Amino acid sequence: MSLIEAVTIPKWGMTMTEGTITQWMIGEGETVVRGQEILEIETTKVTNVLEAAAGGILRRVVLPEGTTAPVGALAGVIADEAATAEEIDAFIASYADRLGTGEGGEGGAAAPRTVTVDGATINLLEAGEASEDIVLFLHGFGGDLTTWLFNQPAVAEKMRTVSVDLPGHGGSSPAAGNDVVSTISSTVGAATRDLGQGKIHLVGHSFGGAIAARIAASDPTRVASLTLLAPIGLSKTMSRDFLVDFIAAERRRPLQGVLERLFADPSKITNDMVEGTLRFKRLEGVPEALSAIADAIADEDRQLQSIGETLGALACPVLLIWGEQDQIVPAPNAGDLPANVELRIIPDVGHMPQMEASSTVNDAIIENINRA
Amino acid sequence: MAKKSFRQALNEALHLEMARDPRVIMMGEDLTGGAGAKGVQDAWGGAFGVTKGLLDAFGPERIRDTPISEAAFVGAAAGAALTGMRPIAEIMFVDFAGVCLDQIMNQAAKFRFMFGGRAKTPLVIRATYGAGSRSGSQHTQALYPIFTHIPGLKVVIPSNPYDAKGLLLQAIRDDDPVIFLEHKMLYDTVGEVPDGSYTIPFGEARVVRDGKDVMIVAIGRMVGVAEEAARQLASEGISACIVDPRTTSPLDEDTLLEVAEKIGRVVIVDEANPRCSVATDISALLADKCFDALKAPIKLVTAPHAPVPYAPNLEDAYIPTPEAVSKVVKSIVKR
Repeated sequence: MSLIEAVTIPKWGMTMTEGTITQWMIGEGETVVRGQEILEIETTKVTNVLEAAAGGILRRVVLPEGTTAPVGALAGVIADEAATAEEIDAFIASYADRLGTGEGGEGGAAAPRTVTVDGATINLLEAGEASEDIVLFLHGFGGDLTTWLFNQPAVAEKMRTVSVDLPGHGGSSPAAGNDVVSTISSTVGAATRDLGQGKIHLVGHSFGGAIAARIAASDPTRVASLTLLAPIGLSKTMSRDFLVDFIAAERRRPLQGVLERLFADPSKITNDMVEGTLRFKRLEGVPEALSAIADAIADEDRQLQSIGETLGALACPVLLIWGEQDQIVPAPNAGDLPANVELRIIPDVGHMPQMEASSTVNDAIIENINRA
Repeated sequence: MAKKSFRQALNEALHLEMARDPRVIMMGEDLTGGAGAKGVQDAWGGAFGVTKGLLDAFGPERIRDTPISEAAFVGAAAGAALTGMRPIAEIMFVDFAGVCLDQIMNQAAKFRFMFGGRAKTPLVIRATYGAGSRSGSQHTQALYPIFTHIPGLKVVIPSNPYDAKGLLLQAIRDDDPVIFLEHKMLYDTVGEVPDGSYTIPFGEARVVRDGKDVMIVAIGRMVGVAEEAARQLASEGISACIVDPRTTSPLDEDTLLEVAEKIGRVVIVDEANPRCSVATDISALLADKCFDALKAPIKLVTAPHAPVPYAPNLEDAYIPTPEAVSKVVKSIVKR
């Protein structure tokens, strides 16, 4: 039996229902390896590149450039040389039937829900198989749980996952008190305790990395692994400009310029990303809440959080992932890190590896979880 | 996030801002359903239900039913604004501005300039506009070009519930006279609206959707028409970007120019009559400032130069449709 693999329109985030093929990056008849970028797809939220889930030859382009199709639709067929044209035709025909029966369509899309802990409201999104242990995703400064739109679905195929809006972000209520980092980490820690008694694997980005470290320090026996993407708190310096400019940008064009600093390739930023960020920042109280967090992250050019010692004291696997082009939080020297901490640098990626190199990051998260 | 109607979004903005700022008062006809008469007060919440519940919450001193005299209450509101109040005057149909244009054009719009910049006029005039309700030519006009033409007025035309709330809060907090126009056919449209307060700055267009083949500029109810056209066009492989200026004065020239220069093809959809209109104004701006980037003539899809007809079939024919927009887009997008 020859190998035949479907290339389908992926589901990136809960609200995605369809995607438009903007570019096939390889032609019919060309060879692809697993993980190779093959297809650029545009949604209302984001433009991203789909990587091949299998190696072989792109035998058939089913959806040409410019077409819009629902999530799960067959875009192309990868197969080895042994597959005959008849087999591929039959595969395409069978795929049309499958889509018609609803498979691969909505796929049980989850909606976020809110939980209340100690008077605070936390907005969270659960996805994935029922498992005792959970994977907890913590976004960065000014973000929300949608930062994980390319990651949570992939990890959810293996385990139960939860992404949260940190206090003061997205649909969660603001953090009260003077020490915002402690308040945020204890609120999130308490919220996740209600979700199950198993262990948690923490995945944190940037400011969320410092929150993950605090949760791990306060409850080390409960934490099974840490995967941190460009976390704050490991090098001494960082520019406060990004934080200040992010808070100050009240209009679309200046904010676009600020968000561009996050990515190695600014064309990844869509209008919806900018509009969504503006809508969050316009809410009464948000600029003040963000300022309080910014003040806890850095003063003029010095980082105020330090997580190195915490990470060094942990017995569980700790993996750091950094984009080589990160302009926001500089990568630490590998030599300065505790011995139990592994650092991986991804080339051609900025401060958002979870979006810019999602497959690599997803593989690394799952690998790190499996080491626990 | 909660889904709310355009009407609810406006009502929420009024509740929030009146609770926050005691200087905010409202004046208009039938705001509370007929003050001084026997019967149920606030049964309807105003002619279009926007002011429902305000009388109970804030009382008749702050929610003032007025006699049927726009000249009197718009003038009174302008004067109250000068003294430090933040009045919101409701003109039931913008067509009635005809009887109080002096108060708007020669008084409120001029105070800041004629008093040497020492007077503030934080006045909001809310009014319904637009065709589609079978209300005849004296209750359905889209008169924003007249107000946009007058320096000293700010002109706001929200296209969706989220913008309606954020722009109304901004209008009330603004220190200049603002004409705030609500399309009657949008009141029941629904969208995600946060519960709390937020403001959207004036002169800030919204890019409604990204696209690369054509830029469609649309205002108010026409944004929905453009979105429907864009969906039709997408199924034919044409990718349309939509820009909603949100305010026609101030006008976000930077965004219009940026997108027009990037895409090079422009269609402007406007429910107003076509002579001396916002559509012709934006067209002139783009022809003047980014002519070299244009790949095709700028096209306008507007109502005809005629009063809004009363006959339903003629009224339907008067309003720009998604099909008309698609057809014009296809005439300038070479495939």
